[in-house]
Amino acid sequence: MDPDGLEEALDLSRDRSQYQGVYIYQPAKPGKSANEPPKKRRKVSSTGAQDPKSDSQHFIPLLNGEESAEGVQQRLNTYKQLWSEQEQKIQGILEDVDAGVLTDVLSFVRETSPQTCNGCIPTALVTVGSNVSSLSRLLSRLNDHLTSSGEGGVVVLESGDATNLKNSLKNVIRAAVTNTEGNDGYQKFLTDRTGPRVLGYDLDLLNDYVQRKGTKKLVIALRDSEAFDPALLTDLLSLFQSWLDRIPFTILLGISTSVELFETRLPRSCVSLLQGKHFEVQDAGNCVDRIYEALQTNPNGKLWIGRNITSTLFERASDYFQTPEAFSRMVKYACMSHFFANPLSALLGDSKRPELFQGRFIEAIRNLPSFRMYCEDLVEAGSPMEVRNLLENDRHLLGEVFNHLEIGQQRMRDIFQAVTLIHACLQHTQGTKKSTVSDLSVRALAGELGESQVVDDMLATVRAMDSEKLEGVLATLPAALSNDSTLAELKADFGTLLETCPDQEPLRSEYNINSSVTKTTVVQQRIQLSKGKANLSGQDLEYTKIIDRLVAALQEYFTEILIRPQELFMHEAFLFDLRNPLKDNFAPRPRFAIERAMGSPFDYLISSSDADQGQAKISSKQPAAAILYQLYLESGALVNVHDLWQAFLAVFESEEGKKCDERIVMALFYGALSDLKMFGMVKNASRKKADHLAKSAWLGL
Amino acid sequence: MQPVDVARSLSAQWPCREVQAQQLATLFNPHLPSPPTLVVHGISATCKSTIIRGVLSTLEVPHAVVRSSECITGRHLLTKILWNTLEALGQKDEWEKFGKGRCEHVSSLAVLLEECLATRTPEKRGKFVLVLDEIDRQREAPPTLLSALARLGEIIPSLCVVLVLSSTPRPMFLQSIAVPHISFPPYTRKEAIDILLASPVPTVEGLPDEASYHIYPHFVSTVYDTLIGPTVGSIPTFRAICQRLWPQFVAPVVQGEAAPGGGTDWDFARLVVKNRVLFRHQGESALVHRIVPEESAASSKTILLSQAQAEERQAANDPSTPNKKGKRSKTRITKSTLSSAFATSSATTSATGGGGGITGPSTILTARPFPLERLLAVYHAVDPNPPANPIHTPAVSDQIYAELATLRRLRLVVPASGHHGGATMGSGNTSADAGEKWCVNVSGDWIGELAKGIGVEVGEWLAGGLD
Repeated sequence: MDPDGLEEALDLSRDRSQYQGVYIYQPAKPGKSANEPPKKRRKVSSTGAQDPKSDSQHFIPLLNGEESAEGVQQRLNTYKQLWSEQEQKIQGILEDVDAGVLTDVLSFVRETSPQTCNGCIPTALVTVGSNVSSLSRLLSRLNDHLTSSGEGGVVVLESGDATNLKNSLKNVIRAAVTNTEGNDGYQKFLTDRTGPRVLGYDLDLLNDYVQRKGTKKLVIALRDSEAFDPALLTDLLSLFQSWLDRIPFTILLGISTSVELFETRLPRSCVSLLQGKHFEVQDAGNCVDRIYEALQTNPNGKLWIGRNITSTLFERASDYFQTPEAFSRMVKYACMSHFFANPLSALLGDSKRPELFQGRFIEAIRNLPSFRMYCEDLVEAGSPMEVRNLLENDRHLLGEVFNHLEIGQQRMRDIFQAVTLIHACLQHTQGTKKSTVSDLSVRALAGELGESQVVDDMLATVRAMDSEKLEGVLATLPAALSNDSTLAELKADFGTLLETCPDQEPLRSEYNINSSVTKTTVVQQRIQLSKGKANLSGQDLEYTKIIDRLVAALQEYFTEILIRPQELFMHEAFLFDLRNPLKDNFAPRPRFAIERAMGSPFDYLISSSDADQGQAKISSKQPAAAILYQLYLESGALVNVHDLWQAFLAVFESEEGKKCDERIVMALFYGALSDLKMFGMVKNASRKKADHLAKSAWLGL
Repeated sequence: MQPVDVARSLSAQWPCREVQAQQLATLFNPHLPSPPTLVVHGISATCKSTIIRGVLSTLEVPHAVVRSSECITGRHLLTKILWNTLEALGQKDEWEKFGKGRCEHVSSLAVLLEECLATRTPEKRGKFVLVLDEIDRQREAPPTLLSALARLGEIIPSLCVVLVLSSTPRPMFLQSIAVPHISFPPYTRKEAIDILLASPVPTVEGLPDEASYHIYPHFVSTVYDTLIGPTVGSIPTFRAICQRLWPQFVAPVVQGEAAPGGGTDWDFARLVVKNRVLFRHQGESALVHRIVPEESAASSKTILLSQAQAEERQAANDPSTPNKKGKRSKTRITKSTLSSAFATSSATTSATGGGGGITGPSTILTARPFPLERLLAVYHAVDPNPPANPIHTPAVSDQIYAELATLRRLRLVVPASGHHGGATMGSGNTSADAGEKWCVNVSGDWIGELAKGIGVEVGEWLAGGLD
């Protein structure tokens, strides 16, 4: 073993000095001070005018660097435009979702006072469930309402700000004053007072402020009330209660579990200080569904998320604490990576000048799988000339590409229209299990919706509809379908039918459950049930015919519309469906990575000889920590340190024979052991077995 | 004004405290010297502070009241004492003369108070009473605070310090002798009922005055005997319960229901028989304060309805908690701990032939702490929807650590060491050492219900079953 390699292996750099158990001392070489701290870089103020170029440099030229600068710019601009539209939509949805709770909470805050609560502190308990972020949106909007009307404000206290009573009070007071007066106002407020200097946590300050501003409602919001220390919470609340005759407190508690659980955790004396009402924020799942629906079924949509990503997104949203914001961030990331890494995304931009798309770009299109499929179809259809033309004439190809892009996008819009139609019709079913838009979308994007049970269910629902419901459904039919002449006729017929029967009773088709009659006959002491059709009026029969026609039209429509999006030419440009960048970024796997790095270090390290990379067994060329880790994996829950050391030494001895310096290996061993300790993989066993180490991490968990 | 007169004038508003008012009035008499220190003690809601204030203002003795529960530290209390004294003496604007309004120690407080009292104009020089309310609840109080405050009156002749305690004082707790104590005992049955009857009868629409006049006294004493007496309830709870139950109690009269035995002539006995359920259910729930009160219904029919609703609401609330993977891991935690706890304990009990001697919920409370690695291993076992291909799925720990942090934040699981001294640990501290043990911080029943929600039966995973 050469000493240089050893040095490198030990790599006693500065950041390890915190935990390393052992190191090899090296006297500082004259003239070179290794431990001198790096020179401070001069800080360049980044607040000044930003370089206009830096913005476009976020995107790099693709196609082996041969993409035109304009193309890059176009991708960036298109992305920005697309996302800003979608973000607005998401914001709109989030605000809409919160609106109901906001009005409830606001009216609660306005209407209650200590007098209406038997002298207790008015308390709004807001259960947020998994929709954690909604509370901060709610609070900021509540604050806007209260401050703009001059009634008071909202002070948000987080468990992190409330380490002890003094700190929490200080934070409450400061937040309350800065909320309306700003930071300078707070300082001024402190210094401008007459009288002796008040301690920062004295609620007298707040009292002064409230008297001066004429505040009527001061809402103290504890956003994550479960994370507060119960003792501290009790102290705080009893203080607030004692000041309630002077400061108009209202408490708002954000609860993630349930009110009962929260209540049982507080002491009784603390619970008796509070009285109020319980509000529930809509669950995140619903919100996420609505966001997804709005993004995908947009009638002017340009880019769609594919099936893989959709299922990944919903898996994460349903399995983990995930906020709608996090969901939209993931969608944003997906969208961005499409524009970042796919040169074809430039086609989605506004500019369609042929100069933008030349050379390599055209070549790239010709290499697309969907292009090949398209060509094969053309050949099969008997137009080889067209294929030749596409392959040779760039201009013609580009024209076709734009043409098919339009068509493809229209098909996607149609698919999602069909999805919304099915979803709307399924709302009329009696069944308990209702498919969400996301479920339907996943199936539609996989091209499976057309043959699935869902469509049959939906058609059955339509058959059973009475005329009143049908009227509503007909009005919402997508434009693509209602332009059809058969449907127009059908609508007209339906209209005339309705006119001819001015009865209050809605018409029923023969498929409706009310139209069939169950007959009971007793045959040989057994009851037989038989279903028969009730006598239908003439109008009902007429109505049944209309229904039949509608169902036929719908069936035709679905088989036409619900195709596999992957079969569309140019789907690579408007359908993004790569799961990997999303998964790697939003679900990192640190433990797996560490275990792999330790188990087979040459997956990560560059080795001089190829032989090292392939081999799986332990060798002295590997870093010491990795060797020790692999030995450690072979041991049981308890391992004798001496045994471990013997095994470690044997690795070096077997490869280097007599040359091996036991003292250096010992140093390596100690270093490696302290590394493992730092990773949390070993700890000292009990005091009785001082010479043993206990294993505290197992592989593959 | 004689002490008797003071007591009489106060008793109109706050009855049944004549003795104490008379004692206080005697001790605070402006023309007689007061004791330097006075201890007033009694449990909460026995009218201590109110009577003291009443006596002092009736006698027109200058005084300052400091609510010690509003003071965060000992220093804060001393400063407050100084300011309130200055305010009571009308010298608030001259605060700069007295230690610049600052007071950090009891000894300096003695000096400053003496200075304040000395600057009074001669005609105002009389006794000054300093009332320290709930002084035994003072936060961060130095151990010598109480006895030091008790000395103030000895050092400053014109000062009388009143210490109001809500706990019964130990003998010689001030380390000085002959300190007069005045006790405010809890109200007796007769007193409590008298106080309630002194206030007007809650009005119920449609109830004849005569009926309420006859029935209400009986009703109040029944409420006392059934609900308040056994639970040592205070006057405010007594009043609240009476106000809440009264409209429901007389509902049969108001609605004109037929009385048992014919006619619409209801007397108290018949109402009690009719409403005995009311006392059992509604009354007992009224004793426990809930943050979200259940709506009290006007008629007995709606009582049942509201109860059903309340039950429904409870049922709706529990599963409405986030039904996420994170929770799933928590159920695993219990299971892991339980299975380890049960594996050992049930082995011993079944060997002796006890035959299920363990009862479920109590053993959940005694669940042992467990290391995280164990939890991860158990997670694999109990996952209700395991991955189709376990070999190619990434390590589960990477997926659930974030959830675990959330659970930790919600204090559903806590580190075993921090379980007892949890107050000292900041909530932001979520680091975990290798091999650190954790435990569950919620009841087993709750977890059982939660587990059912995600399709896991906790009992199945326990050696010996849940019950």
